[in-house]
Amino acid sequence: MTYLGWVTTYGPTYLDALGWTAVIAVLASVGAIVWGCALLLVRLAGGRWGARAVDAYVQVFRNTPVLLPIYLIYFGFPLVGLPWPAAVCGGLALVLQNGAYVSEILRGSFKAIDRVQFDAAKSIGLSPWSAFRKVVLPQVLVYSIPSLGNQVVLLLKDTSLLSAITVTELTMQAKLLTEQTGAAYEAFAVVAVLYLVLVAGAEALFRAAQRAVRWSR
Amino acid sequence: MDAPTLTLLLKGAGVSLALALTSTALATVLGAALTALGFSRFAALRALYRLYVYVVRGTPLLVLALLIFYALPALDLRTGPYVAGVLVLTLYVGALFAEVFRGGVLAIPRPQWESAKSLGLPPAAMLKRVIAPLVVRYTLPPYINVCVMTVKASSVLSIISVWELTLAAREIIERTLAVFTVLGVAAALYFIMCFGLDRLGRRLERRLMARGFAGEPG
Repeated sequence: MTYLGWVTTYGPTYLDALGWTAVIAVLASVGAIVWGCALLLVRLAGGRWGARAVDAYVQVFRNTPVLLPIYLIYFGFPLVGLPWPAAVCGGLALVLQNGAYVSEILRGSFKAIDRVQFDAAKSIGLSPWSAFRKVVLPQVLVYSIPSLGNQVVLLLKDTSLLSAITVTELTMQAKLLTEQTGAAYEAFAVVAVLYLVLVAGAEALFRAAQRAVRWSR
Repeated sequence: MDAPTLTLLLKGAGVSLALALTSTALATVLGAALTALGFSRFAALRALYRLYVYVVRGTPLLVLALLIFYALPALDLRTGPYVAGVLVLTLYVGALFAEVFRGGVLAIPRPQWESAKSLGLPPAAMLKRVIAPLVVRYTLPPYINVCVMTVKASSVLSIISVWELTLAAREIIERTLAVFTVLGVAAALYFIMCFGLDRLGRRLERRLMARGFAGEPG
């Protein structure tokens, strides 16, 4: 079978898998950013022990491969009475891991905020929580857009690891098609192109976000 | 956890480290060659460099690993899983190193190039005595980062049945269901390797800095 013939025959079977990859990547990215914000809040408001706990959390996740939390949740949760679907287990692992990186990114941006703003927030009578939500967080997020974009691209590529726990996303689909049709090059070439398109899309989205916030300032 | 299980995990950690170190050594050579390609006089070679880096950085490591895993037998290359594993990691990390080195070359101040040229150094001597030392000096911290990443990335090879720490852990889990202890120990072993490598890199940096070798450009 020619390459083009293979693609026209089996190409449409990738659509479901593409949807799964996209949905998992989007939800896990949102989750990781929210979790990263929560970790930043604990670091800032949790006292010395809160900061230490966040530090330990970040170090652990930075120095271990993401497959370990994926397996931990997928194999471990059923043992403690939480038989979640594989996609949810994998997504949660991606949120926990990438949240650690996001919190470090946000911490870097936090340092760029002028200290005078905290005094200003206090002097107009904002409570610490309101100051965090209305003054600190929006600026931190805006400063972090380019780095968050990088992190989302890494997360998007890491969704391929969920094929190891039976989630039928793009990589799993390529594996299944290779085993069905024996055409490894064709199956993986299509998947590689689809990932390149998704990565380009994510990068374009974050560049657009960067431009949008520049206009508003 | 009993002693044989722990021994198995330790052995797996040794394999992971060996895979990562072999691959980083080979990838350093590949990365240097790719960097040279990236600065080639010929536009076609420069385009080839950009395409290679773009594709490798834009697709998951697992996709590359599976492609090589399925394609090598089709090419009738009789290689074991370890050769395939090292090949995958080398091709992947080589692209990351190439970008790191490229950044280092671009950071070399212009006067350095001009003075090297005006001294009449032949190209080989210029590379060896001027460019290479400066690139090493500028790129040590990101280089160490990529090395740590390689140790973590080697876990992906477990999916193409390369026996190392992650596959060892998964096999034990499927047999004994001792999920939390086994993965806890595996995580601790990865942590020791990655954190240790990071600290080692920082120490090296400080020592080189003391001799006026490593530091900020300029």
